[in-house]
Amino acid sequence: MEMRYNPLTDEWVMISSRRQGRPLSGACPLCPGGDELPEDYDLVSFENRFPALRRDPPSVENTGSEILKNALSRGVCEVIVYTSDHNTALPRMSANQIEKLIYMWVDRTKELSKYDFVKYIFIFENRGKEVGATISHPHGQLYAFPFIPKRIQVKLDSMRKWFEKRRKCVICEVIEEELKRKERIIFENDSFISLVPYYARFPYEAHIYPKRHVDSLLGLSGEEIKDLSITLKVVTAKYDKLFEQEFPYMMMLFQSPVNYENVSHFFHFHIEIDPPKRDKDKMKWMASVETGTWSFINPSVPEESAKALREVEVEECL
Amino acid sequence: MVIFRKKFKEGSFTVEEREYSLEWMLEKTHLGWIVSGRVKGKPGRLEMVRFDIPKRLLINNWQSWGPCKPVDGDFRLSGIKDLVKENVETLNIFSPVPDLLEGNILSDYFIVWDGGLLGFLTSEIAHPFFVTEGTEMVGYLDFFETTFEDWVPLEKLLILEGSPVELLLEIYADSVKKESEPEIPVWNPVGWCSWYQYFGDLKWSDVEKNLNLAREFPFEVFQIDDAYEKDIGDWLETKEGFPSLEHMAESIRERGYKAGIWLAPFSVSETSSVFREHRDWLVKENGVPKVAYKNWGKKIYALDLTNEDVLSWLTDLFRNLKKAGFDYFKIDFLFAGAIPGVRKKNVTPIQAYREGMKIIRKVLGSSFILGCGAPLLPSVGFVDGMRIGEDTAPFWNFDMPDIGFPNAYHALRNTLMRSFMHRKFWLNDPDCLILRHEDVNLTLDMRKMYAYVSGALDNMLIESDDLSKVDSEGKGILLESISMRGGKSKVRGVLDGERFIIETEGSNTGNLKIFANLSRDVWEVEGYKVPAASSLIFKDERRKLTRRTEQRADGRLFHYYQEGDES
Repeated sequence: MEMRYNPLTDEWVMISSRRQGRPLSGACPLCPGGDELPEDYDLVSFENRFPALRRDPPSVENTGSEILKNALSRGVCEVIVYTSDHNTALPRMSANQIEKLIYMWVDRTKELSKYDFVKYIFIFENRGKEVGATISHPHGQLYAFPFIPKRIQVKLDSMRKWFEKRRKCVICEVIEEELKRKERIIFENDSFISLVPYYARFPYEAHIYPKRHVDSLLGLSGEEIKDLSITLKVVTAKYDKLFEQEFPYMMMLFQSPVNYENVSHFFHFHIEIDPPKRDKDKMKWMASVETGTWSFINPSVPEESAKALREVEVEECL
Repeated sequence: MVIFRKKFKEGSFTVEEREYSLEWMLEKTHLGWIVSGRVKGKPGRLEMVRFDIPKRLLINNWQSWGPCKPVDGDFRLSGIKDLVKENVETLNIFSPVPDLLEGNILSDYFIVWDGGLLGFLTSEIAHPFFVTEGTEMVGYLDFFETTFEDWVPLEKLLILEGSPVELLLEIYADSVKKESEPEIPVWNPVGWCSWYQYFGDLKWSDVEKNLNLAREFPFEVFQIDDAYEKDIGDWLETKEGFPSLEHMAESIRERGYKAGIWLAPFSVSETSSVFREHRDWLVKENGVPKVAYKNWGKKIYALDLTNEDVLSWLTDLFRNLKKAGFDYFKIDFLFAGAIPGVRKKNVTPIQAYREGMKIIRKVLGSSFILGCGAPLLPSVGFVDGMRIGEDTAPFWNFDMPDIGFPNAYHALRNTLMRSFMHRKFWLNDPDCLILRHEDVNLTLDMRKMYAYVSGALDNMLIESDDLSKVDSEGKGILLESISMRGGKSKVRGVLDGERFIIETEGSNTGNLKIFANLSRDVWEVEGYKVPAASSLIFKDERRKLTRRTEQRADGRLFHYYQEGDES
């Protein structure tokens, strides 16, 4: 277990061969009484049995090379269990339970940011076997990275550049524009807007932006947390209803870095939901172009995806 | 704006003068530019930047107690010599370039106005400051009388433009942090200090009495202030009526607190044994020891921190205090280490000061160091906490001269003005909370405002009261202010100077908004009326989730969450 530096792309790769041993079947380890959680609980976040990063990583061998650089895999990987109820998911969970989940995300962010080796806290959910989820119990994960991951760095650089040019936050400006045009909005309430972005990379990609400029979960007010819980429930429920299935997705929360320079003036907290499917039974593969060049070809029109999702009616509360 | 007398232009430049050689460059950075370079020879007071005086600007004094306040461009300081009267040495407290105080605007380290900021990122060799000259403001690096055989780096100057003052100050603070990379402690102290109740009249029985009462308060550190020592400079001997240092520390530690002690390590009084025995250890002027300042009714001299014997003495002093059981050190009157004068080595007063601070940091290791009366920028990286204002006081006086005299009004003003330094330079110490209801000329509103503002700004919280005079309301204010810490704050109103809006995100009690009115008039803001010297607080309604953490046999941490106050 170690991190290895890729000088071709200036990024760190996490080598974690023990992850190959992950259990793929058997009794649910996340249910009360299961391997991981023997007692009943409401919500829980725990350090992954097969982590890519550890608080106390094993030492690494000096490569003795100026070219081949490695480093300790110091970080934290947690499994975040949303509820003890195995047979539910974000779209079917009560907004009340999702609200508690967000409070848990807030606390995990605050706690993990106290480790000075942590630079970026990335909260995410892989839903469905199409994106590698091996356990169907409703859960997500978090990685507390000891570095700023490559795509986060790109976001930071882009948002900084925009601010330097226009002295305004890019997402604040996008929100203003989208509220004027109303072409790509899926759902909105007092505090949040959800839309298929003009620049969507995936078919049915949805973004969730707080309307107020806030750079991380830590800054959300109680009212905003409540509104975010409803937004998450509604948007994920719209996917399931539109496609009449438990629609797979990768949900990713983008917060400002921790133990890092202040970026709060230009970085706007946001959530991306990227479904790997382009239709009920068709995958949108991350193939050579996407993986090799980070250039995406979106085979759908974002305005049409937004319209389809907008028109699906779902219940908002409880 | 001109830089080193050249038109503002990006690029690299060289200057050859009779007394010195200079190489410098101007580069682009986030929202502005940065000037860096190096110098050799005898640069003296080196002009770096010249620009028109802004209409209204925020100015800053070099050390903890000095004002950080907004002034109009036509303001000029007058009458300071009358205020200090015959104690001209006292001017050393206010500036290492005291000749420039009268008749000018003098701002050390940075100035900021609506749409622009100029700020030096370090003060490791030179003393950086800005001063008015006619209709212009000039930024200097003062290298004093020092001659440099080899190249030494210039203190970098950050130039920002085109954003609100609050954002410019945040970026400045970030840039200072990036330049020096100080370690900011995770532990943010809550404690007790003897000074603002007992001052110099403290008796050991007062300490014991408060130690017994303290168990009803959430203190982590118990700090004995000025009064225990035999003399200024003779720190290891206690005054009559006080037990040994070991006994003092043990009495505190056995009650479960970190033991804290005050001292002024770079100062020696004219009656101290250090002064009597080691006059060669002192900063000199015209061949004799130079009076650094007057206090305690005595002349106080400054230790020459370039003298190896002085550094050995400092090492032994702190080693012995630590050995006695102290683990929290409030080191005060630190500016004395940086007064201009003749020292053993050919270094600037700033370099000398940093030698002393380096030794203290090294000897104390992970113990908590709270700086006070300290030059601000030269201390970055050496202290864990820093007093960022005047001494507070059990009174609030609108009319007192604004030159660092004790006054809760000015102390709270500075706490707000320098809030941007918190967790970037160090932990900010707003000075002690006074929460007693007797022996005090602060209204309940003033006491609350001081405590809540300090809490909302996530500052250190040290109470200074005879705890038998603190009622349940006072205890409640302390608990409330502790719960308001843990967030990130933005302070608006720094160019007003008396009316502030504090917005705190992510505090332990949720998001907060405070209207703090330090003025003598009612303030109408956002549809509310805030009475004079009072505050209004708005708290976010948050659900309570409690966490229980357990560690499994394999070392993994499991965090269980459920709704409610207690799991």
